[in-house]
Amino acid sequence: MSARPRVLEPGHAFEVPSFPNEDVYFYVKRIVNTGVLREADPAARKTCWRMIGYSFLVATLAISLLLPTLYQLMAGYRMEALRQERERLELDRAALELQESRLVSPARLEELARMQRFVDPAPDSVVYLENKSDQILAKK
Amino acid sequence: MWAALIAARLIQLQVVQHGDYKRLALQQQQRVVEVRAPRGAILDRNGQRLAMSLPVESVCVDPLRISDVAVASDILSKILNVDARELLTKMKTAVDARRGFLWVKRKITPEEARRLRDLKLDWIEFRTESQRFYPNKSLAAHVIGGVDFEENGNGGIEQSLNEQLQGHPGEILLTADVQKRGFASKIANEPQPGQDIHLTIDSSIQFVAERELQKMVELHHAKSGSVVAMDPRTGDILAYANYPTYDPNLPPQRQDLAARENLAIAAPFEPGSVFKVITLAAALETTSLRPDSMINCGGGQITLFGRTIHDDHRYGALSMEDVLARSSNIGAINIGLKVGQEHLYDYIRRFGFGKRTGIPLPGESGGIVRSLRRWEKTSIGSVAMGHEIGVTALQLAQASAVIASGGLLVRPRLILDGPTVKPVRVLKPETAITMRGMMEGVVIKPYGTGHRYARLLGYTSAGKTGTAMIYDYQTHKYTHFYNASFMGFAPVTNPAIVVAVTINRTEGKSGYGAPTSAPVFREVASAALRMKDVPKDLPEMLGEKAGDSSDGDASYEDDVAIAGLGSSIPPPLVHAESATATDDRPVASAPDVLDQRGLFPRGGTDPAPDWAGPRAPNFQGKTVRDVIEESAALGVRVEFAGSGIARGQIPEPGAPLPLGHPVRIQFGR
Repeated sequence: MSARPRVLEPGHAFEVPSFPNEDVYFYVKRIVNTGVLREADPAARKTCWRMIGYSFLVATLAISLLLPTLYQLMAGYRMEALRQERERLELDRAALELQESRLVSPARLEELARMQRFVDPAPDSVVYLENKSDQILAKK
Repeated sequence: MWAALIAARLIQLQVVQHGDYKRLALQQQQRVVEVRAPRGAILDRNGQRLAMSLPVESVCVDPLRISDVAVASDILSKILNVDARELLTKMKTAVDARRGFLWVKRKITPEEARRLRDLKLDWIEFRTESQRFYPNKSLAAHVIGGVDFEENGNGGIEQSLNEQLQGHPGEILLTADVQKRGFASKIANEPQPGQDIHLTIDSSIQFVAERELQKMVELHHAKSGSVVAMDPRTGDILAYANYPTYDPNLPPQRQDLAARENLAIAAPFEPGSVFKVITLAAALETTSLRPDSMINCGGGQITLFGRTIHDDHRYGALSMEDVLARSSNIGAINIGLKVGQEHLYDYIRRFGFGKRTGIPLPGESGGIVRSLRRWEKTSIGSVAMGHEIGVTALQLAQASAVIASGGLLVRPRLILDGPTVKPVRVLKPETAITMRGMMEGVVIKPYGTGHRYARLLGYTSAGKTGTAMIYDYQTHKYTHFYNASFMGFAPVTNPAIVVAVTINRTEGKSGYGAPTSAPVFREVASAALRMKDVPKDLPEMLGEKAGDSSDGDASYEDDVAIAGLGSSIPPPLVHAESATATDDRPVASAPDVLDQRGLFPRGGTDPAPDWAGPRAPNFQGKTVRDVIEESAALGVRVEFAGSGIARGQIPEPGAPLPLGHPVRIQFGR
């Protein structure tokens, strides 16, 4: 490597002059070690696998510790949604029960019967079934 | 050093100030949510809902957040149908007073709530409240009662069992995320829903009772009436009705206060002749009198310690059972005299009069039974025929149940799974059985006061009519308005239903106990027996009709139990035969001349004296085989119904039988 001139010369007006001992400080020893092979280190491999194992273990532990909490959270959402749904369904059921009670009230049933002209049967139109042969009559 | 500082800060935040920050976080995330605890429902014995609560929404506003109260009141009034001016005044007052809350309308309809929500105005808020509904409207209104705006019972079961019915809402702490979605909850206060109450009332029987009572009260232009139907074995009240009645869904109005009176327990009245049952029962137990013992009826008049008492009809002497059947006042007085004051008073108390039955309804009266030392000399005469004493309709039903249950005083029960009181024996069983027979005579004997109106199709029945003149406390005289009553039971041999009916302030002879109250008994008892699937103990006579309401017979006229006022000339004694002659029903069925069990004619009247053709043979009491043999021998075509022994036939024995016309025979066991 050739050192740069320390005095500015014409034609090199914009060139930075060399530093003192530049050649010393910026000296780079050229080494070509492409032909060098690293010796296999069995301990390092072991350490590597151990690290992987530990990491996996820690990750698994962390996940197994956090997973229930996560599930709990999700279940909490689900439970709250279900609780609200149950409340809503209970209200619906109560409303339907009220509607049913109104529909089957004796006053309404009698009114319907009257509209349909349902009447109590006359005594002589009633047949009492007292034995099996009478059941044929009932089927008619 | 930085690491140390960060670690120190972390320790400060997460350890030292952990509690504070946790509390702040919870304040932000948690909210208290009310958990509904609805008021318990009231159901009948079959699970039919008579009263139930449903949540409804109420609307309120924050007046301080309203930019223009005039516009707001205008919007709200149109949707909620409230007075805009009044609402505006309220809003302005609230704004002036810096109040941030104002009810606009409570318990709105779902449609109103939906329309308000659609407005999406942030100053409109909704609160959930509970509302009581009575789906059957006025059915059993006096039993159920009602609630006030805050759902506190103010009548009937709603009031007396308010503590059990009332629910206590709970609270949960709900942890929610930023979007207000809950993900964890914790119960802060356990909700306590109200307890459902199952009544002994049967809605169907109750409906029939109310319908028939209303019909009769209106038909006779009476003031009011009550019906109590009860199972004599358990004391279960199956129907309990008063008329006039009211709809508990509607808020009380000043004009319907009278309709809200629970007359059957709160309004004692003089029972009149129905009370003779107690007098005669006491006589059977304390004297040597038997049903066939002859009682001097004094020709319709008796003078008791200077007070002359008249009977409507003049009877010389009657057997004790006829005293009941004909409802002779003089006969009852003479029986009462034999019983004596002490015994009569004792039996009045034994039958449960003068004290509350203990039914869980507010305002029950124990009736009016004066203590013995306050009885006057003539009181024995009055009390023996049901005067100078006040009873409630429920007490009458309870007393009737004593006879029906074989001598046990069974306390009326209104709550199906409620506590039961052990029945107390107040009469010997044989006395009760004898009384049953005598009360049956009132119904089946052609001259019995209840024979026309209280007979049931297919069932034996027993009872007693009563017509008591109403005392006017202003003029201190008895008026010509009546308390018309009937108490009875059916079937006679194994009673399954007891019915007591009283109709208040009837007028004229058509307002007597038999034509007014007995038909209610008949309809209610018939319906109850049918609904309870009680086996019939009588063959149902083909073509037979139960008693009608025509006034063709006047036997019930004996019934008025007011002494000293009967100045009218008594009508001629109505005999069985003459009674049937005036009967407006077809002779072929002629139920009035038929014995209730035998179902065959008592009289010998020939329905067609000029008929020269064949006549129906008498198959009474014969087996199917005998009937077949005899009819085959006679060449008579027969049609059968039932099995066992021939209990009835059409045409009746001896009646004309046109050629080829069958004899229809009802068999029964």
